[in-house]
Amino acid sequence: MSEERKKELFEQLKQGVINFDEDLVKEAANAVVAEGFSAVDAVFQGLVPGMEYVGELYEQQEYFVPELLMCADAMYAGLDILRPHMERTDLGVTGVVVMGVVQGDVHDIGKNIVKMMFDVAGFEVHDLGRDVPLEVFVEEQLRTDADLVCLSAMMTTTMVGMKDIIKQIKLKNPNAKVMIGGAPVTEDIAEKFGADGFAEDASNALKDAINMLTTLRKLKDEAESA
Amino acid sequence: MTLTPKERVLKQLAGEEIDRVPCYSGMGNVTVAGLQELGYKFPLVHGDAEMMANLAATSYKMFGYECAVVPFDFCVEAEALGCVMNAYENVEHLLYPTIKEKALHSEEELDSFPIPEDLANAGRIPVVVEAIKRLKKEFGDELPIGTYFLGPFTLGGQIYDLDLLLKYAFKKQKLIYAMLDRLADVLIRVAKIYKEAGADYLTVREMGSGTDLLSPRMWNTLIKPHLIKIISALKEMNFPNNLHICGETNLIVKNMVECGADSISVELKNDMVKTRQEIGPEPLVFGNHDAYKLLVHDSVDDVEKAVIKCLEDGVDAIWPGCDIWPEAKLENVKALVEATKKYGAEKWHRKRK
Ligand code: B12
Repeated sequence: MSEERKKELFEQLKQGVINFDEDLVKEAANAVVAEGFSAVDAVFQGLVPGMEYVGELYEQQEYFVPELLMCADAMYAGLDILRPHMERTDLGVTGVVVMGVVQGDVHDIGKNIVKMMFDVAGFEVHDLGRDVPLEVFVEEQLRTDADLVCLSAMMTTTMVGMKDIIKQIKLKNPNAKVMIGGAPVTEDIAEKFGADGFAEDASNALKDAINMLTTLRKLKDEAESA
Repeated sequence: MTLTPKERVLKQLAGEEIDRVPCYSGMGNVTVAGLQELGYKFPLVHGDAEMMANLAATSYKMFGYECAVVPFDFCVEAEALGCVMNAYENVEHLLYPTIKEKALHSEEELDSFPIPEDLANAGRIPVVVEAIKRLKKEFGDELPIGTYFLGPFTLGGQIYDLDLLLKYAFKKQKLIYAMLDRLADVLIRVAKIYKEAGADYLTVREMGSGTDLLSPRMWNTLIKPHLIKIISALKEMNFPNNLHICGETNLIVKNMVECGADSISVELKNDMVKTRQEIGPEPLVFGNHDAYKLLVHDSVDDVEKAVIKCLEDGVDAIWPGCDIWPEAKLENVKALVEATKKYGAEKWHRKRK
């Protein structure tokens, strides 16, 4: 188990994601497992940096949505192989996330990109899809005991619906965090609607979510030890 | 010269000289104010020709907009091909219809899906046709009657899984090319039907193809050929036309012009000054005021400033970036029309020199 071999495989994972080469990713992921390297490291030092770089290419308009979706496929191909070899606690901040586009809105390309980032980071994502009625978010949060609910809206009319969803979720479960996003949403609106977080794009969404959940965990731990 | 809105709009699209820029759109102009005036519920207007026509006319009657446009939603062509739409009849607040059931479910269908023989009677096409006829009868002398449909790629995303369509656009270009070609043929037939019903101009809305989504390279190889096909057919049937894409379009605007439409239109995210630098003064470009914030939240003063800016930046019609947002304030839309009348000659790049 040489350090060099490990590096080589992780680099293959990264490059495979960037070049949407599913076969290369699968081959490298299988080798990681067969040769006994850490699956967690493979994800965080291979797949994740790959997706991060893809995100940069997207921001620089080097990559566009089709490219992004194909990179995601390559990333998922690796994740499917590596996940069974990971302990949930391996992941640092684990979290259960409910995600969807609010009722009346079918614009789901942005939400799918956010989902992708959460998946690769090890969150357990329950994707409700698009055009999701208010009560389904509330029910799903309760059913899965999710730490975080992510709401997406791309239109001003449908964005308004988020306010009610946030209220209902908080009413049923004051501990659940809610994060909102989508083109018409701003920091200001997020605050007005009573959301706990807002992000402009997918990588910031992930960073914020991790911060939020880390704080949440700390508070919980403190409360328990006190 | 005093022109009627119809003369102004159609002369301009035909490349003739006119007195000032028109204030109109090739997209939906539904307002809550219009719905209230008529006592209509939005979900019901999509399937009723009389309501559709009356609602479309409110933009002219209530704020002097220089057109009447039907339909209001994005599902008409998709339904004609077998999709099921949701009008949200049981939802209190205003929502736009969506496709709840796609027509195509497998890759094999993409280049061979069935097309109804009698397209004129498929889905809600007869409703749109009837609405066009009604508008034509009532306003045909003074007002241009507009209609629109989606471009082939955007329509493809309505009838088939969009994620897969986007991926196949990369991985299986040949297949998607064939699909879009098939859809272009359908759209050309729909255009004929609308033209025969009396529509004066048609907007091709290929909104799902801007650089928010696709690379300029892909736009050229996959999107452009089918738009050229449709627009050539529109020209052949003497159907005045516009090609609209919202979102970011600076990187593809030159290619949009090359599709050959009588005019193109873009939204706020397009930097019009750059666009003019790139394509020159000749092509007719409509736009590019904010259809939402400017009309819903801003003041009458802001509206006037925005009109001046659009003109100074080089547009040829004061035209929104997308459908006018329904909560638009009546006073703002009126101010938009007024400001266009006031500055539409003086600040217009074609009159300035
Ligand atoms: C593609 C598109 C469509 C496609 C949608 C296909 C699909 N399945 O998604 C179709 C053709 C179906 C469509 C339909 C309509 N559309 Co449309 N559409 C667009 C378009 C061109 C691109 C949107 C997009 O995907 N962007 C790319 C993605 C990657 O970006 P994003 O969504 O912003 O996501 C990023 C961030 O916002 C963020 N994010 C997203 N979600 C979340 C969630 C969380 C929790 C967080 C933290 C972050 C986050 O991260 C993402 C990645 O970085 C936009 C114009 C534009 N350029 O924005 C109009 C636009 C959204 N549409 C608009 C309109 C008006 C409509 C229609 C009403 C038209 C009609 N007459 O029917 C219908 C609505 C149907 C309905 N009821 O939903 C308007 C909305 C105006 C407004 N102010 O509300 C826009 C803005 C166009 C415009 N210029 O006015 N549309």
